[in-house]
Amino acid sequence: MNKIVISVLGQDRPGIIAAITRALFLADCNIENVSQTILQAEFSGIFIASIPADQSAADLRSRLETALMPLKQHVYVKYLEYDKGDYPFEESEPFVIVTKGPDRKGLVAGITEVIAQYGANVTNMQAVFEGGDDPDKNIMIYEVDIPTQIDQQKFHEDLRNRANELGLNISVQHRNIFEAINRV
Amino acid sequence: MLTGREIISTLEMLQNEHLDVRTVTLGISLLDCADNDLKRFKDNIMKRITTLAKDLVKVCNQVGDKYGIPVVNKRIAVSPVAVVGASFSSSQLVEIAKMLNDAAEAVDVDFIGGFTALVEKGMARGDRELIRAIPQALAETNRVCASVNVASTLAGINMNAVLRMGKVIKQAADLSKQKDGIACAKLCVFANMPQDIPFMAGAYLGIGEPDAVINVGVSGPGVVKKAIDRSLGSKGHIDLGRISEIIKRTAYKVTRVGELIGREVAENLNICFGVADLSLAPTPHVGDSVGEIFQSLGLQSIGVPGTTAALALLNDAVKKGGAFASSHVGGLSGAFIPVSEDLNIGKAAEEGHLTLEKLEALTSVCSVGLDMVAIPGDTSEDTISAIIADEMAIGVVNKKTTAARLIPVPGKKAGERAFFGGLLGESAIIAVNNAKGSNPFIRLAGRIPAPIHSLTN
Repeated sequence: MNKIVISVLGQDRPGIIAAITRALFLADCNIENVSQTILQAEFSGIFIASIPADQSAADLRSRLETALMPLKQHVYVKYLEYDKGDYPFEESEPFVIVTKGPDRKGLVAGITEVIAQYGANVTNMQAVFEGGDDPDKNIMIYEVDIPTQIDQQKFHEDLRNRANELGLNISVQHRNIFEAINRV
Repeated sequence: MLTGREIISTLEMLQNEHLDVRTVTLGISLLDCADNDLKRFKDNIMKRITTLAKDLVKVCNQVGDKYGIPVVNKRIAVSPVAVVGASFSSSQLVEIAKMLNDAAEAVDVDFIGGFTALVEKGMARGDRELIRAIPQALAETNRVCASVNVASTLAGINMNAVLRMGKVIKQAADLSKQKDGIACAKLCVFANMPQDIPFMAGAYLGIGEPDAVINVGVSGPGVVKKAIDRSLGSKGHIDLGRISEIIKRTAYKVTRVGELIGREVAENLNICFGVADLSLAPTPHVGDSVGEIFQSLGLQSIGVPGTTAALALLNDAVKKGGAFASSHVGGLSGAFIPVSEDLNIGKAAEEGHLTLEKLEALTSVCSVGLDMVAIPGDTSEDTISAIIADEMAIGVVNKKTTAARLIPVPGKKAGERAFFGGLLGESAIIAVNNAKGSNPFIRLAGRIPAPIHSLTN
């Protein structure tokens, strides 16, 4: 049994998930994981499903496109890859980076450039951008796996310097503090 | 995945509401350092402290940075010096205090506690010598803290020791009169003194404790106040049962921070973790005050009628929330009301809302006692001893810890101000009834028997 990844993107409206899941059911696929969100008015969903050996990704994509055409959704289908390719596995610790500051272009690109330089992996991002100069209304939250082998002090220093250049306040804290405080 | 609300509310507590770890205190047993040769004894202790504590500050800072939580103070508590140094004279014990001060400086901790005697039932020779050494030891060092347990629920009140402590406090004040009697700010007289307090001046390492242990004291009065303000602001009216619930939840969060930091510091130092002391400990900064909580609850000021009931609610809710958050809670654990260390409480004393008598009433429901109370410099030894005796009686009968940290400010009268600096703060000097007189009751001395443990109506 192969596994398949399906990504669906388009303007939100009623019936999208019903159409996707019915098409998967008719193709004898079993849904294993789903992540779905709506940003402003845009629907985005990722589904991982097991697919019978006699079904191909191309066939499934065709079924899904037919089902989703009336709903004006874009579909992408690929097989799930288990090997990490050229992305090396490194031991890491989960941290939360939060920036606050007046909205302008390039804030996320500026911060994530430093994160990427150190091989840290962003595992989740959340944003509150209401515009204007109020820092509390312009917040970016990055959950990041930071390799344990890198020079942590230098990493923090580079992040702070970049945040200063961008006019942002920045905090970098181990994820456990948020779990300890907020969860029983 | 964390929610944005979880992350932002946590940052708010850290950045705007003064949530911090107030102290990580390394307890160090000195029992096997005992020696009847003063030099060898001092060498043993210096070596023990500088070995075990050499990385304490570094590790606390590293762990604090990792979690974005400042560890404000790093401290050391040692075995009672009256026990380990029982063979020495008072002048030799002063030398030992200076050596402890040197050791504290060498490892860069701000206070070292344990210049301590436990005399609730009677005084041994070492206890008498240590108590005699306290004034000079505190006046001639900056970082050494002393404490004397003069009473317990099981032993009663040692009035001979109470009487002696009145004299010691006067002497300590006089020896530090250029600094408003600051030596007394480093001296606590206790009933039912816990063995694992991380907070100063009462920290020492109990006889039943291991070779070394990390105890952690969290704080967070600002967090509690803001949580109450937010609830009252959003809902308009909430009853006291609901407010208790809000304080409990907040105390839970604060304590979890302490537990997390304490355990990681302990692990990194390869020392066992002891307890989290979940006290609300104020500092002389706006927004980091226990006194402000009373105003959030609708009282004009701490000290007005209703304060004792409000403090009872606060103290109980803090204990309940903290006890749920940590499997090992200890120390004092509750709400502190140190007059000079809390801007708001100091102001209440200055404006006359808070008197010595009301403070004493509050100590029947708070976690410590008469804490950092500046009193007129001409208060007599007898009167100081009598105030201590009253405070001890509250602790002994109610089966709780109480303490007195009184500072008779030399040359100053009620209403004038005393300045101690730093976290010790400043405050108006509180009036004392019959301050100058003798007190024949106190001079009867002896031991007030332990209270009956049945017929508890």
